Amino acid sequence: MKYLLKSLLKTIPVLLLITMIVFVLMRLTGDPVSLMLPENATAEERDTLRESLGLNDPLPVQYLAFLGDLVKGDFGDSFRYNMDALDLVLERLPATLELAIASMIVAVIISVPLGILSAIKRNSVLDLFITGGAVVGKAMPNFWLGIMLILFFSVTFQLLPVSGRGTLAHLVLPAITLGTGIAAEMTRLIRSSMLEILGQDFIRTARSKGLRETVVVNQHAFRNALIPVVTIMALQTATLVGGTLITETVFAWPGLGQLLVQAVNLRDMAVVQAATFIIAIFVILSNLSADLIYRLLDPRIKYE
Amino acid sequence: MGEELLKVDGLKVRFKTDDGYITTVNGVSFSVKKGETLAIVGESGSGKSVTSLALMGILPPNGEVVDGDVTYKDKDLRTLSKKDYRKIRGNDISMIFQEPMTALNPVFTIGFQLREPLMLHEGLSKKEAQARGVEMLRNVGISDAEKVMGRFPHQLSGGMRQRVMIAMALSCNPELLIADEPTTALDVTIQAQILTLLRNLKESSNTSIMIITHDLGVVAELADRVIVMYAGEVVEVATVHELFESPQHPYTKGLLDSMPKIHDVVNELYSIEGTVPNPAEMPQGCKFHPRCPFGDEECVQTHPNLLNVKGDHAARCIKLAKKELVV
Repeated sequence: MKYLLKSLLKTIPVLLLITMIVFVLMRLTGDPVSLMLPENATAEERDTLRESLGLNDPLPVQYLAFLGDLVKGDFGDSFRYNMDALDLVLERLPATLELAIASMIVAVIISVPLGILSAIKRNSVLDLFITGGAVVGKAMPNFWLGIMLILFFSVTFQLLPVSGRGTLAHLVLPAITLGTGIAAEMTRLIRSSMLEILGQDFIRTARSKGLRETVVVNQHAFRNALIPVVTIMALQTATLVGGTLITETVFAWPGLGQLLVQAVNLRDMAVVQAATFIIAIFVILSNLSADLIYRLLDPRIKYE
Repeated sequence: MGEELLKVDGLKVRFKTDDGYITTVNGVSFSVKKGETLAIVGESGSGKSVTSLALMGILPPNGEVVDGDVTYKDKDLRTLSKKDYRKIRGNDISMIFQEPMTALNPVFTIGFQLREPLMLHEGLSKKEAQARGVEMLRNVGISDAEKVMGRFPHQLSGGMRQRVMIAMALSCNPELLIADEPTTALDVTIQAQILTLLRNLKESSNTSIMIITHDLGVVAELADRVIVMYAGEVVEVATVHELFESPQHPYTKGLLDSMPKIHDVVNELYSIEGTVPNPAEMPQGCKFHPRCPFGDEECVQTHPNLLNVKGDHAARCIKLAKKELVV
């Protein structure tokens, strides 16, 4: 509990640093005013708009004003949508989280049995098939896999919707698209992690007790092998929340990735700030939960 | 004593490596009688640990028994089904290992690991197994047994972990305990405690012990009979008394001579020249001839058989038959 509180307190400077970096970068890399006004606007008109948006103030002043609003939960309004930036982000968040969780589930369902199987049947034809498949899975670009899945399941057999969000059926193809790449990486990791653990002395002890091989593998070995796997899962979850633009685009999935890229292109500062802030919170949370899971898995890990 | 509990006949084990097959145990035969303590002695690489793993049926995945018979009571262990073999493992025959630091699973409590064989083989409930586990820990000299049951391996010292291993191995009252270098990784004082523990076990129960060691001190302390192994073969079999009194094989003699004696003042300790041959490059004839002070042309040509010397005392040396060897 104390550890949790400490970790949460430690995230405050991290979040602050992130807002600062994004703030400075956004302001140094382009002027939103030129995109907001028609091309034939006069210099005077531009300057008036700039002044009214507070963009003429020195950067530190702007940043402090931004922080003052941030404390109140106000990221400002989107230039483009004329609505509260945070609302805009939070509106997209459920779609992103839904897809992230579904993709992770797909990845786990594929990788855990395959990883274990290829470890216990190492150097067999099956192992070759699985590790080969993992390379293919990792190498396939998401947009290509997404389009192939749509062609096969939606166009040819008309089993699943082509795109959009709504029912559970809408979730299937994008989740498989994203989950496959992650599953490929996790399968290889589970395999090597299991191989290392299966060679340990305590596995020999477990066998010498007369335990069934399934108990030795699934209980004694797998729990030890999970620790590096949890790390990758946390990193991948963070990536999934941060942006899966290509998959979102292929499936017209209304997630954060699309919103964020659009906002960056349009210099929609408030939206970029709000989105990166929310994403940062989820990245921190997924790392924190990985730390907590380590503790559950391995009693040797103690945090001070 | 007398009735044979375990009989090994012509055991041959090979390992698959990148350079083909390597035979590490080559035609090993011996038996363990009821209630006796048999020591298997040899340098690292002599095949003694592999022999014990083969008996337990837990060779690493690249190792396999290719020839020989292993009979436990009336059961042929090599043709036993996996399920029936599991019923023997940890129940009738159990094993303790060299490295107590790594032999216990780091993510489970001592209690969980101790209860496992009891619930599996004796069909005890978790509660009953817990009570028996506590009792077993007390028997191996752990006083705060209840507390230790809730601990994880990393919270215990090496000596404590080896005690836990012994408690675990003895929990189902095995007929045969295989102890693979149980004291090698421990401090001298702890070694003595563990040896005392094993001796008490030997005296208080009818459990046969097969102790694998390279430490002749341990042999003198515990064993009734001794098998000396070299390069995957048995080179000498004798009672512990015979072995120390009149070793027949030059290798055994070398081993005994390399033990420092407390009353002798010497400048340099004796050691057998050379090392155990690599299993991939086994010498022709007698496998010990390149290191043997008595080795000659005949030893290079002929691979000697085990030769009875006196009673059950046998050694593998052609010089013995010709009475050429004076040891």
